[in-house]
Order: sequence, then structure tokens, then C-alpha cells
Amino acid sequence: MSGAPSSAAADALAASIEATIREALGLIRPSAVGIAGDADLAQAADLDSAEVMDLVMEIEDHLDLSIPVETVAQARTIDELCAGILKLKRGTP
Amino acid sequence: MSLLDKFAAQRALRAGLAESGRVAPIATPMDRIESATAATIDGRGVILAGTNNYLGLTYDATCRAAAIEAIEALGTGTTGSRMASGNYAGHRALEQALATAFGWPACIVFSTGYQANLGALSALAGEGDFLLIDADSHASIHDGCRLSQATTIRFRHNDPENLDRRLARLGEDARRTLVVVESLYSTLGDRAPLREITEVARRHGAWLLVDEAHSFGVFGPRGLGLCEEQGLLDEVDFVVGTFSKSLGSIGGFCLGRHAETELLRMASRPYIFTASPAPPVIAATHQALRRVLEGQDLRARLWRHAERLYAEVARLGYRLGTTSPGPVAAVVFDTRAAALALWQGLLDAGIYTNLMIPPATPAGLCLVRISLSAAHSDDDISKIIAALAAHKQQVEALGAAA
Repeated sequence: MSGAPSSAAADALAASIEATIREALGLIRPSAVGIAGDADLAQAADLDSAEVMDLVMEIEDHLDLSIPVETVAQARTIDELCAGILKLKRGTP
Repeated sequence: MSLLDKFAAQRALRAGLAESGRVAPIATPMDRIESATAATIDGRGVILAGTNNYLGLTYDATCRAAAIEAIEALGTGTTGSRMASGNYAGHRALEQALATAFGWPACIVFSTGYQANLGALSALAGEGDFLLIDADSHASIHDGCRLSQATTIRFRHNDPENLDRRLARLGEDARRTLVVVESLYSTLGDRAPLREITEVARRHGAWLLVDEAHSFGVFGPRGLGLCEEQGLLDEVDFVVGTFSKSLGSIGGFCLGRHAETELLRMASRPYIFTASPAPPVIAATHQALRRVLEGQDLRARLWRHAERLYAEVARLGYRLGTTSPGPVAAVVFDTRAAALALWQGLLDAGIYTNLMIPPATPAGLCLVRISLSAAHSDDDISKIIAALAAHKQQVEALGAAA
């Protein structure tokens, strides 16, 4: 690929990743699908640490992408998860 | 926010436990241990059915004699690392005995089972390497991954097809990937599909480490574990195990099918920066290993108990973590209240088991874990079954109510 992706393409990718995260969340905690992007997953979606890891595995299957534990270890919100996965997709550490 | 504010959840849990005024289901205070299967809790005698003492060797006369003799001859501790002053003949002899039993060229003994995983994983997988671990792995495996500089990816529990997809995505990097699984998962008592996992790892050129913590001494003609039982000792690359379950002491080991495994010693921080196991521990473990290798009698008794308990628990209508009988029987509930009620009911009936709740359990399950021992008598097993029967209705009502 040459050059940086256009901002419209980047926005579309981010939006599709967020939609995937919410879809996966819906399978684990249906009531939490609509929580705010910056809401704490542990509190707003009532997910414990093991459930956050299960959520990540759902996302991996949806996106056909392996997400290293280190990528999501610091992610507390949907926005942070999304940012981590975007970086992976773009191949930047 | 101050340093200790983060412990709010623990503070609340402690207060709740104290408020109940009953014996705590976690860190249950043992007044006195009487034997491999009996203790006093809260002033009352109980049957121990929540230890990992699968073969009952903690009280084996020959193991105790070996430990006492070692204290008399070599003292109570080594006060040094294996890399410094703590490298005794006994440590080396135990490593040799384990390697010989497996027919493999290398074995390294660690001071605890936790450190065996920490030490093996962090040294085997370095920067640029990959660790592909089962999603339900023990904390020591997760922590070993964190200590290593490798990239860690989880695959779905006991799902070779899911592992296959992740290895395929890694492409060429599969060759620098270590797949890590346990053979018997101690929470639900379920076993890994080792043959399928071995086949997938091989096909992608990945390496495979099997943690036999809860299966060593229990499975296989010589008690070497599930890999031995399934005839996979020529396929698996590394086996990790512990001394603190079937072998009845404390410590751990990593065995390698490749001679280079020996080099881990020079690179593994959890091996280097800790004191080596004390002489009585090594002596008791070595004697226990001899007992395991010729321990068909112990295994036969353990399996007789396991098959009986599994059949009776299923007949009573309880849900178990797995349908294949084994030394761990996990009675599974959807609610914490139901699990706690059974745990308390069993304790009141004089039976100590383990209460396990999220996040220490997979899939948000609450469970009462019963672990069996060859040292249990048939009468002990009868008492466990009778207590389970007596509490079925009460527990069921709680499960349905919540």
C-alpha cells in the first residue's frame, strides 16, 4: 500500500470495527450493546477480566484477525479496543 | 487516588466473609491436618475432598522417611540458587530420574509449579516469537506469557480448529510459535483433545508444550500423564509439571524432547533468581516419583473412586463440568448462591471441597470442586455421595430462584 489511507477510508474502517465490537458484545452481554464508546467496559457492561478476554475472541473470529493479549491489556473502553485493533489492522505497533 | 485505594473490592469481600460469621470458603483456615484425607476445621473433623493430593503421597511412610533423612544429612534449606550454591546431587538426580522416565534428554526442576510455567514460557519464547495459549489456561501460564517478550494470542478452549486458524494467520511465524495447553483443566476437570492439537501444531511447524500438572501420576501406564496415555510422547516438545499434586510436595519441572532444552537453565529468570528446593522436598519428591512409576495400585484405587463418584453425582441430577470421569469432579451452577449453599452444606456434613467463582472460572460459572485421592476410603466416598444427595433439593431451589 502506498501513502496513508484517506481520512474517509480510515473513518469507515474504524466504524466497521466498532460495529463488530458491539456485535460481539451483544453475544456476551446483550443489554450492553449501546453503551458509550468511552464507557468503562467493566462497569457499564459488567464484564470481568475473563469476559473481556472472551469478548476479544469473539471479535477475532468476526474480523478473522488474531489480537495479541498485549494489544488489549490496557483497553478499558470500546474506543480503546477499537484504537488497538485499528493499529493492528494497519500493521503499526 | 492513593496507593491502597485499589483494594476496595477485596476489602468488601473480606468484610462480607467476616460478617457471615461462618468458616470462610476462600483461604479456609485449617486447624490441623491429620492425614492425606482428614483435617480439623473450625474444631470439627472433616474429610478433605478439595486438595490436589491425588495419590495421597503427602503421608506415604517412605516419602516422609526420605524427607527426614535428608534434613538430618543436608539440613533444612539450600539458601542458594541452582546457579550458585544450591545445585546439590539430589536436584540433579531427580532431574535425571524424570528425564529417564520419559526417555527424554533434558529436565529442569523449578522451586514451585508456578515458577515452572513462568520459567519455561518466559525463556522459551522471546521477542519476535509467539505464544498461542488455550483461553482457559492457568494463571501461571498467563503470567509466564507476560514475563516473556513474545506476542501472546489466545485460542478457544479445547478447540483445535480455532488453533488451526490462528496458526494459519501466523504463516511462516508458526515455526517460531509455542502452543501451550494443559492436558487436564483443573476447574471443570475436562481434558484437552491432545491428539488433534498435536496434529494441528505439527502441520504448521509450531512447537507444543503440555502442562500435565493435574494429570501426572494419574494417567498413563506409568503415571507420566495424558501424553503417555495417548501415546504422544514422541510428538510433544515440552512437558511441564508440578510436584505439589500427585507427588505430594512442592516444586515443578520442565522436560524437553530436545537436548537444547538444557540451555533454558542459563536464561530462565524464575529458575536463576530464586533459591533451589530444600533437601527434604527433593528427597520426598524423588521417593514419590518412584512410587508413581510403580503406582498402578494407587491409580486403580483413584480411578475406582472417580468412576463411582461421577456415576452417582450424575444419577443425583447434578450438572458436572465434564462427563469423562477423572480425579476432579466439578459440580456446576448458574448462581453463586447455589454453589455456596452446596459448599456450606458439604462442610456442615464434614466434607471440605473447593468453592470456585468468577473471574477464576470460565464462562462465568460457579462451582463446587471435589477432588479425589487414592487415600480416600470407600466409606469416605460414600459419605461424600450421601451429603450430595442430602443437599440436592435445597441447592436446586436456590439455583432456580436466582
